[in-house]
Order: sequence, then C-alpha cells, then structure tokens
Amino acid sequence: MVREWRLHALSVFSLAVAFVCLGSALLVVTNLRAVEQRWAHAGRASVYLRDGASQEEVDALRDALSRVPGVRGVRYLSSGDARIEFGQREIDGDRKLAAVPVEAFPASIEIEVAPETPETDLADMVAKMKQLPSVDGIETYRSWTEKLARLVRGGVAASALLALVVLAAVLAVVGSTMRLALQRRRAEVEVLKLVGATDGYVGNPFVVEGSIQGALGACWAIALLAVLFFLVRGRLDAELAALVGVEPSFLPWQMGMAMVVLGAVLGGVAAFASVRRLAAI
Amino acid sequence: MSRSVQLERFRPVLRAGNARFSREAAARPILVFEEVYKSYRQGSPVLRGMSLVIERGEFVFVTGPSGSGKSTLLRLLYRAETVDDGRILFLGRDVARLRDDAIPFLRRNVGIVFQDFKLVASWSAYENVAVALEVLGLPQRLIRARVGEALERVGLAGRGDDPAAVLSGGEQQRVAIARAIVGEPALVLADEPTGNLDPQLAIDILGLFEEVHESGTTVLFATHDRTLLEVRPRRVVVLDEGKAIDVPHGIAAEDYDNRLPL
Repeated sequence: MVREWRLHALSVFSLAVAFVCLGSALLVVTNLRAVEQRWAHAGRASVYLRDGASQEEVDALRDALSRVPGVRGVRYLSSGDARIEFGQREIDGDRKLAAVPVEAFPASIEIEVAPETPETDLADMVAKMKQLPSVDGIETYRSWTEKLARLVRGGVAASALLALVVLAAVLAVVGSTMRLALQRRRAEVEVLKLVGATDGYVGNPFVVEGSIQGALGACWAIALLAVLFFLVRGRLDAELAALVGVEPSFLPWQMGMAMVVLGAVLGGVAAFASVRRLAAI
Repeated sequence: MSRSVQLERFRPVLRAGNARFSREAAARPILVFEEVYKSYRQGSPVLRGMSLVIERGEFVFVTGPSGSGKSTLLRLLYRAETVDDGRILFLGRDVARLRDDAIPFLRRNVGIVFQDFKLVASWSAYENVAVALEVLGLPQRLIRARVGEALERVGLAGRGDDPAAVLSGGEQQRVAIARAIVGEPALVLADEPTGNLDPQLAIDILGLFEEVHESGTTVLFATHDRTLLEVRPRRVVVLDEGKAIDVPHGIAAEDYDNRLPL
C-alpha cells in the first residue's frame, strides 16, 4: 500500500467525495429532524381573537383556558404587542414595521400546553374553542410540524438514495483500485500461488487495504464536512436559531462512526469481490 | 497452522511418525500418469493417452521437441492445468480431481523451478526464498535458519540481502532453486531451468539439482538441451506425439540420430 500511495490516495479522495454527499444529506436530515422535534414538542397554540372581542370576553376566555387540564400558561397578546414581538424577530424590523398597519397583527391568547398532552385532548380543546364567538381562529402549528415531517421523510429518502450511490461508488472505486494493485503485484501473487499460498493468504491483504480505504474515505469526508459546518455555523448560527428556534448541530458521533464502519465494510467487500477471481491463478 | 499440519492435510499416510502412516502406501510410486489426455485446441492434443510411472527418489529428464508437451506435463502436475482425461496420481492422490482449496497443499509438496526464474525483482534473495515458508506460517526464527541453509546449499551464502534484480541469471536461478527446496518438498519440477543460461552455468545448475536429488528428493527435469542429456546418463522420458517413450538408462548419441525424435 505504501509503494502505491498515489493510487490509494486517489481512491481515498474519490471515496471521500462520495461520502461528503452522503454526509451532507445526513446533516440536513439531522437538523430538519431537530427542528421538527422542537416544533412537535413546542406545546404552543395561538388563539386569534375577533377584532371586536370585548375585554370581558377575553378575560373569560383566559380564565376558562387556564383551567383546562394540560394548559400550563395563558398570555394575552394585543395587536400592538404582536407587532412589537414580530419586529424583534425581523431584520431591519423598525423601518419596515412603520409601513404595516396595526390591524395586520390580530390580538391573540398564547397558550403553553404541556408536551405530554395527548393530540386528541388538544384537538378537543381546539374544536370547543372554535365554537366561541370571540375566537377567530386557532393555530396549533401542527401544519408546520407536518410539513417538516414530510421534509424529513424526503430527506431520509434522498439520503437512502445517496447511500446507494455511495455504495456503487465505493464498489467501483475500491474494486478498480484493487484490480489495478493486483495487476501491479501480479508477479508477487504468482509466486505466492506457486509456493502454495491459499486464496485467503493472497487476497486478505487486499481486503484489508479496501477496508482501510473505505474507512479513510469516510473519515476524510466527516472531517471536511465538520470544517465546512463550523465555518458556516459561525456566521449563520444566530439567524438560524432565531428563524427556526433550533441551533444547527453537526452529525452525532454515532452517525459518524456508522459512516466509517460502512466505508470499511463496503471497501472490504468491494476488494474481496474484485480480487477473488483474479487471485485464483 | 503448523507446517506438519499443513502437510498432513495432503497425504498423512505417507508421513512417517503420523498415526495414519502406512508403509505400503509410502512404498508406492510417487508419480503415476495413467492414459493422460490434454489438448488446448480441438483436434490437436498435446498428450494422447500418455502413461508413465516415476518411483520415489528418481531423477528423470523429460525431453522432446518444442510443443511436445514437456511444460504441459509439469503444469498438469502442479495443477496449473487440468487433464482432459486420465489420471495423475501424486503420492497416491489424483491431482486432477483435487478440489480447488486443496491445490495450495499440493503445491507445498512440490518445488517448481522455471526457465524465467519467476522471482519478485523488488524482493531480496532472502525474501524470495522465505516466501515458501511464510505461507506455511512458520516462526520467523525457523524461517531465517532454513532460508540461510537453502541459500548456502545453492552457493549464495551471505547474498540474502541482495535484491533479486541485481543478481546475474545464474544467481537468480540459484535463488529459484533455493525457494523450491527450502520447504523440503517430495518432488521438484524443473521446467527448462537452464534455458536462459550459458552451457557452463547450465551444467552447474544441473549439478545443483543432482545434489537436491542426492538428498532423497524426486526430480523431474524438463529440457530440450541435448548436451545435458549426454553428460548425465540418467533415465530419460521422451515425449513424442503425445506419448512417453521411456529410456531407463539414458540416451546414447546414436539414439538421437536413429530411434528417438530429438
């Protein structure tokens, strides 16, 4: 392996590129899932009030909501408060906000629901509140969660597809490299076979080389992704956290380890398949 | 796996000291060719029902014109080729019917020397010889001792560190012979081992094979070099038209001109 380092370095680089694609997809899926879980367990609902709702109706609604099992907190947000809160989240908010009429921000009652509250209880509560004359609409953020869940499912499917591409890439790259290495060492292999070396004795070093290449390719890919991730995160961290409520995170170590193991196994299998016939001289 | 275990997997009944050792089996011929057929192209067989018996400890020249099947005969023996029909019994076992995973164990019992030496140029002389023992999994200490002895036997004592690429043709062939004998095989096959050497070196190399033979090893020496056959009155097997003509006491000069197709 040392003698043919250029050949193996090229192979490891090609594998790293393939693994970067897979790692990127997994990184996106990991963060989307974190956002989905954040919103799925946000335990929030906004009860939007009709424009003409009186203070008595609002107070009665707050009182009734605070006594509902599973509701942890109830907070009234007037139109003005809503505009201010929105402005805090927007870039250059003050300048743009001046052009937006206050009516564009309906008053609401913000409810904090215990995360363990069953979906059915929440649905019942929403159905009952919709009957009240002072209530204009209710947002439980379920549609957001569902959209995110769909995105995550799409991401998982894309990752699976990329995993297949990586599989094909590893088989092709390691297979070709091993065949080339075997051709270069043909004289050695021939001598080994003549003196009674078994196929395993001849082929095992190639399998080990294939495994090392696969694992190294995955390691380089993870390292490259980590560098890029931390470079980007340093610049966009605050904006992303404000936008989706979750700070972006890198691949969990278990996933990184799984990629390395996958690389090693695929590399070994590809090398084994490539040299099995050729080593039998 | 120890060397003894590796060898026992091939023919335990022939190993003195083994529980399954059979004196009767050990007394049988080392090589028996029975009606062997081999062809590479349809309609032009190289061997046509060739039969031959070689006893243990014999030194036999195999000769014949180019294309007569000398190399084929040897390749069939170490299973680089398979027979089309017939049997080749080596140590009582039919080589043609060995399973693929048994072939390495067959080759550990056969030392092979080629015209083109088949050494790894980038390896040292020592490494080229040691490889025959390394595949057996012997300890390095034992390998060092036995390779040293083998190199000494072929006249290359102290040359172990020299890369094979810098050795002369004669020296490379000596390394190849050392590799063939270091595992103490039952049979040594030599396929035109002097073909690339000048006449004097060829005689020297033949002398080496004779020394190997004197230690009890059976030697099958394929050559088309008439000089070698003339200088040593040994058993000769002449291959002609796919059959073996046995000349038990060597070829006299008149045989070349009269009876034998040489």
